[in-house]
Amino acid sequence: MTEPASLHIQQLVELLAVVSSFPDEASAVEGAVERSAQALEAEVAAVVFGDRVAASIGFPAGQVPEPDLVAVAHRRRDWLAVPGVGRCPATTAAWGGSHPGHLVLARWGDEGFSIEEQNLVRGMARLLELTLTMLRTLQAEHEMRERSDRHAAVNKRLVTELREHQRLLEHLFEIQRAISRREPLQQILDTITGAAHDLLRDDIVGLWLLDDGDPDRAWLRSVVGLDAAQARQHPPVPLTEAGAAGAAMLVDRPVAYTGEAHASPVIGQFAGGPVYASLAAPVHIGGTVKGALQIASRRPRRVFNDSDEQTLQAFAGHVSLALTDAATVTRMHLAFHDALTGLASRGLFLERLGEQLVRAQRSSAPVALLFLDLDRFKEVNDSLGHSVGDQVLMVTADRVRHALRADDLAARFGGDEFAVMLPGVGGPADALAVAERIIALMGDPMLVARQRLRVNASIGIALSVPGHTDTADLVRRADIAMYQAKRNGRGRAELFAPGMDETFSEAAGTIAS
Amino acid sequence: MRRLPDVRRWMGVGRSTHPDSYPAALAATHRAVIGDEPKLLLAFAAITHDPATVLAGLRAGAPGVPVIGCSTHGEIGPQGPTDGSVTVAAIGGPGFQASTAVATGVTDRQRDAGAEVAACAAAVADLPHRALVLLTDGLVREQEEILRGCYGTVGASVPLVGGAAADGWRMDGVFLLGEGQVHRDAVVAATIASEAPISVSVRHGWRAVGKPMIVTNSADGRVYTLDDRPALDLYLSRLSAPREAYTDPAAFTAFALPRPLGVQRRSGIEARNLSTEVDLAGRSIGGGTALSHGCLTWAMTGDTESILAATDTACQQALAGLGGREPVGMLTFSCAALRAVLGGDGVRRESERLAKWADGVPFAGFHTYGEIARVHGIDGFHNQSLVVMALS
Repeated sequence: MTEPASLHIQQLVELLAVVSSFPDEASAVEGAVERSAQALEAEVAAVVFGDRVAASIGFPAGQVPEPDLVAVAHRRRDWLAVPGVGRCPATTAAWGGSHPGHLVLARWGDEGFSIEEQNLVRGMARLLELTLTMLRTLQAEHEMRERSDRHAAVNKRLVTELREHQRLLEHLFEIQRAISRREPLQQILDTITGAAHDLLRDDIVGLWLLDDGDPDRAWLRSVVGLDAAQARQHPPVPLTEAGAAGAAMLVDRPVAYTGEAHASPVIGQFAGGPVYASLAAPVHIGGTVKGALQIASRRPRRVFNDSDEQTLQAFAGHVSLALTDAATVTRMHLAFHDALTGLASRGLFLERLGEQLVRAQRSSAPVALLFLDLDRFKEVNDSLGHSVGDQVLMVTADRVRHALRADDLAARFGGDEFAVMLPGVGGPADALAVAERIIALMGDPMLVARQRLRVNASIGIALSVPGHTDTADLVRRADIAMYQAKRNGRGRAELFAPGMDETFSEAAGTIAS
Repeated sequence: MRRLPDVRRWMGVGRSTHPDSYPAALAATHRAVIGDEPKLLLAFAAITHDPATVLAGLRAGAPGVPVIGCSTHGEIGPQGPTDGSVTVAAIGGPGFQASTAVATGVTDRQRDAGAEVAACAAAVADLPHRALVLLTDGLVREQEEILRGCYGTVGASVPLVGGAAADGWRMDGVFLLGEGQVHRDAVVAATIASEAPISVSVRHGWRAVGKPMIVTNSADGRVYTLDDRPALDLYLSRLSAPREAYTDPAAFTAFALPRPLGVQRRSGIEARNLSTEVDLAGRSIGGGTALSHGCLTWAMTGDTESILAATDTACQQALAGLGGREPVGMLTFSCAALRAVLGGDGVRRESERLAKWADGVPFAGFHTYGEIARVHGIDGFHNQSLVVMALS
């Protein structure tokens, strides 16, 4: 099932969905306390501001040991005595910003919290910081609105500020919704850079990400104020040429540069004029720096203040969450699919096949299994190299996919072996027709590495038998039929017939695929 | 009536299948009270019984003894599973103490109601071991909130255990008994305090199949979309459901009841029943328990053998939690939906397993619309599971 890391990201996304739905700080803190206890199956959770416990759960009403919770928050102790449970190991994570606080958790048992769990607690604290900043802004906005109602005529600046806060909130909620709905990553990132541009009003916003192949270089993944297509196609540049963004990635904290000389040459090249000031904040995946969000201005007198930095960091925090979540979803997909071809993995295929075989018992339509092996693939690999071999496998996967219906499932079993499951076929003729369609598609030459290659396939076919739900037996029969196809001249399909069992053992050894 | 010699703690179970409510309750109570100083009666009665008359029979059988009870989807006891009986568990002796509470008008104030009944924990003598037994109205939504209310009051100091009252799949009204009255839309609770350990265990027999789905839109106990597709359709297609399940609510429920959704938690996958509140027009599914927006969920399957294996584990763990003490009895809360998977023969086998583990000591309980067991962490409302509480 899911690995702990993806479970933890999952729990962060759930926490985000919960806390972003609360209207005020007090209810968000209480909601976060419950949700973090739930995620870590902890008996106790609390939020501490300074020496005050703002919310807690796990102690009988009226018996909350506030000094002990505060001591854990400030790392003066690492356990709590919980009535009915006894001595529980405790952990804590702090957040900074204008209203720093601490998240405290304690759980039954001797084991304490693993490193991964402590990371999760830190992530939750960071998320809480972002949400509370947002809600405090909302509170400030309410207060300002009340004041502005009284003094609107005399204080235009206040009204402008108020509108900006309102817009920050709207943007952050929109981004959070996009992340929790798992909209396409590029769309989420473009939403964030667009929001930063709208709010900070600088000419240029760029999201730099470190290059996967060379972590000393970075490239622009999303931009506003520059030609997006050109900027995103620009090859990765050394971090020293990425201006404030490169520095923010290197030192892992916000960096501001002023002066034309410090600007990134890439930004300068696409901006079509001098860039005078830039501010960048790092973004992370699972706590490691993976890029930076940068704003840049062409106004010579642009000076960044604390509020600009906080706003940029809020957006950078959301970029981190979106990237971390996307990385997790990708990892989960990979666990069930062959990395090279994108087809189902052997494990997923066999599980689905087992389910279909059980289901076929209730209907008259059998399940057909096609077992496909490329002809003379080894020669291709040996003579042209593995990378050409890999491309042949990818083209094969595409062609097999092309020959199937929506309900059919194809898998790569390993090497040059593929399997296809056809649920609910009318009979052997249907399965044979699909196999011949695949062979016909495979008959077309492949353009690989500037060469026209002809690689055909031999296919064995076996159909499920009423009363039998053994996947291994069906795979074995299709495999035997495939060897028969090889024996009969390759590039063809054969249906399994009972007589093949006997001839298989002596024949198989003499056939090279 | 067989009477126990002078013991510190005892539990007895009595049952009557008499069709008339008064004699049934009276006879069951007489059979259950097997010792001196009875402290609490727990009554589980078929929905076909008249609740006020059952209460009168219980009162006549054990005057002055506090009672909590509810209607069922089948009663559990040493004489095997029944539909239509009154089954009574009594506990007593100087080593047990009990106090009861009721909260009414639970809908829309689940959390407050939970906090109100949990206050009865403070009213019982300060013995070293305690448990809060909760019986809720199975037709009330957001049962987790009731438990959160209890947890807010008692914290981790007391395990929560019990079940949601059922009405034999009529789905038009359960009854609850507490503080000498009949209730609906209520929670009845009893705190049991004991000189000796009380142990609670919960288990289910389901396993996740296939790839996870992401809950992309959910609210108010309903799931609207999975992987951004209508939840009803994706769930059914993932399990290759028959065509009629897509269009007929009864066929959907029959199909979905033995196929819960799983939610990943730190200690394993929890089962969630989303079979009972299908919306064919909106293509959404629901069952009164929440699946958070953004969470991963799996289709789950199980069979008689996997469910019975879970029965064994739940009993074994509950008994092991007594720290070597001999049990005096067990309370069991088994999901009503499991009956659909087990069938008549399977339910009999479940009862035989319980009897094997009880090994001669009495046990009683019922088939529920939701099982309650909070032992660790803060969550405690379960679906499609078996909860066992062992008393020593």
